Amino acid sequence: MERKGSPYVIEITVISAEGLRLSRNQPVKKNSCVVLRSDPFNSRTTGMDSEGGSYPAWNEKLLMELPANARFLTVEAHSGSRLVGAASIPVSDFAASFLPVNYLSFLSYRLRDAHGAKNGILNLSVKVIGRPSPTIGCAASCSGGPWPGVPLADGKVAGHGIVTGIPVSYRW
Amino acid sequence: MGQCFSDVNGGKQAVGGVATAAASGPNDAVDHFFRARGEHSLCTQIELSLSASKLLDLDYTSKSDPMAVVYMKRRDGKLEEIGRTEVILNSLDPTWIQKINITYQFEVVQTLILHVYDVDSKYHNLPVKMLKLQDQDFLGETTCAVSEVVTKRNRSLTLNLHNTNRIRGSGNKGTLTVRADEIVTSRNAIELKFRCSSLENKDTFSKSDPFLRISRASENGGYIPICKTEVVNNNLNPTWKPLFLTMQQFMSKENPLLIECFDFNTNGNHVLIGKVQKSVAEIEALHQSRACANLISPPSGFRHHEKVMKSQIFVDGFVEKQQYSFLDYISSGFELNFMVAVDFTASNGIPTSPNSLHYIDHSGRLNAYQQAIMEVGEVIQFYDSDRRFPAWGFGGKTPNGSISHCFNLNGSPTDFEVEGVEGIMAAYTSALHNVSLSGPTLFGQVINKAADIAGHSLSCNQAKYYVLLIITDGVVSDLQETINSVVKASDLPLSILIVGVGNADFKEMEILDADNGRRLESITGRVATRDIVQFVPMREVHAGQISVVQALLEELPSQFLSYMRCRDVKPLNVPQL
Repeated sequence: MERKGSPYVIEITVISAEGLRLSRNQPVKKNSCVVLRSDPFNSRTTGMDSEGGSYPAWNEKLLMELPANARFLTVEAHSGSRLVGAASIPVSDFAASFLPVNYLSFLSYRLRDAHGAKNGILNLSVKVIGRPSPTIGCAASCSGGPWPGVPLADGKVAGHGIVTGIPVSYRW
Repeated sequence: MGQCFSDVNGGKQAVGGVATAAASGPNDAVDHFFRARGEHSLCTQIELSLSASKLLDLDYTSKSDPMAVVYMKRRDGKLEEIGRTEVILNSLDPTWIQKINITYQFEVVQTLILHVYDVDSKYHNLPVKMLKLQDQDFLGETTCAVSEVVTKRNRSLTLNLHNTNRIRGSGNKGTLTVRADEIVTSRNAIELKFRCSSLENKDTFSKSDPFLRISRASENGGYIPICKTEVVNNNLNPTWKPLFLTMQQFMSKENPLLIECFDFNTNGNHVLIGKVQKSVAEIEALHQSRACANLISPPSGFRHHEKVMKSQIFVDGFVEKQQYSFLDYISSGFELNFMVAVDFTASNGIPTSPNSLHYIDHSGRLNAYQQAIMEVGEVIQFYDSDRRFPAWGFGGKTPNGSISHCFNLNGSPTDFEVEGVEGIMAAYTSALHNVSLSGPTLFGQVINKAADIAGHSLSCNQAKYYVLLIITDGVVSDLQETINSVVKASDLPLSILIVGVGNADFKEMEILDADNGRRLESITGRVATRDIVQFVPMREVHAGQISVVQALLEELPSQFLSYMRCRDVKPLNVPQL
């Protein structure tokens, strides 16, 4: 059933978001949802939250396949049809090699709007259900060696095995 | 800047109904420590509820914003702070919701000293624990013995407040009522989610800002408030965040609870919109039948009888939960593992100079670090399962000439574990001879190392929790680097206990110890999921404010529980569902 090269299945529970704003002093009123993207063609969407206002809660489980070479997931918070804020989640945050399969990681991320300004926080939990064999090694531990997956954009790996070049530039 | 919506303004936040506040229960970790040493022979846990009336008004444009602080007089005559209530805005007759837990010892005269302060409005967004009392206006003090309160038939005692160090008049300073209730220890707890519809509008220019206050009926009449929800601004159909009530708060399922809905006003004059009285069992029935209850408005003005209103209250969530305590986990075989890291940066002063925090006195007097290791070690050794501590140093120049931010304290290239407190002491002394102090102060590598160990343990054994103890003089060179590591570790079974020695400015440590509710944020945009850092300044411990045991174990049980509870990890002897 699984496509070739996509041995990961992850279960993401989108828990809640905090302090979502439409503009500088206009909080989100209702109808917010979260879109998860592993690549431009592969996404999952939560239902609309109608009650929480700028503190929406979904508690919704989404299953997603993750290509073995994926290094980032993108999360987007929408209010109605409007994109309010986005963040990218490094796969290593929940799929580090030392974490056991089925470990439930609780993660929170700062969302930023199109101009790079801070806009709320998203809380989610992630569980890796199937993981690739260690030889493919899509995961890097925080202290471990360089990432053996797809080479980084600039091909540089810092001396201590800490991966550099995390694409955060658009937010700053 | 952009935080104006996520911050809850002072006085609007929820009190007493937050699930993660495991500290609201008695701190069983401290109790267990003493009990194991046979120091509590005859004792019981009681909670104090405080209320006051006719307090002094010290604010010119509004009324005082009172907060009560409870101290206990120790044997040596020093005052030990036991707890603080929340700040109630603009009230001269406050009834505090936050309870103060104390251990009542039958055979000892326990003298309580109660202080009431007027908290300045600029401090209202700070958590009460962070308030500096010398900055606040003193409203009065009073004293009583715990046994005096407990032996009263209605278990409450009203005392006159007096104010000695203030010239302003000698007249009435108001009264303070202390009420003591024995704590029902029970694992049962409930999570409730309330919603109201078509509330009456009490504001002229906007809609009401409703919040709920829940009180339990006491055996001898009257109601004791146990929690209040956060304020939902400008909304007549509000939904509040889930409330978490323990058996300790609501006593029994049959005990009636008074649920009052108020319109929040900043001047403290909250207007009662309506109320309803239901026991927990009735609330459960409401939830199951998906029915609602109508609020009742109290007699007012021309109307001398109660009126059933159109406004309705719904119970959207009712979940019964078993709440396991820290001791349930530990006694069932969960292991706590402590790791130690000692600061070897030059800011401590050259070890040969008597002013240095690292000075080794040949007469045998312990230096600041040795004292901290001894005192802290005694406590952590009690809770550590194997008494083997990984021990590191950071910020020193190792014998091979390179500056290391995480070297093994015992000098061994491979094995970083030492045996017991004596092992840490020996390794520390030997390291002082071999390692020269250097800099900068970076916690990141030590925290990463600890996180690594904690992370790797997950794959073999779930029943372990790690505590990294960092002893430092407190001047961090790169705070953001430390925050990045802390944020990364916040998802692992790890807590970080920072013990500050010396007299440096520990402001940065207070940032790491996110007690003010602001979550740590790493440079990549990841946010800490929970608070894993606790900071204990040694000088405060020595100044006699709180005991070492209490200071160290203050947040650890709740940090431990926050990790276990959110993953639904149960104690080992409980059958896993």
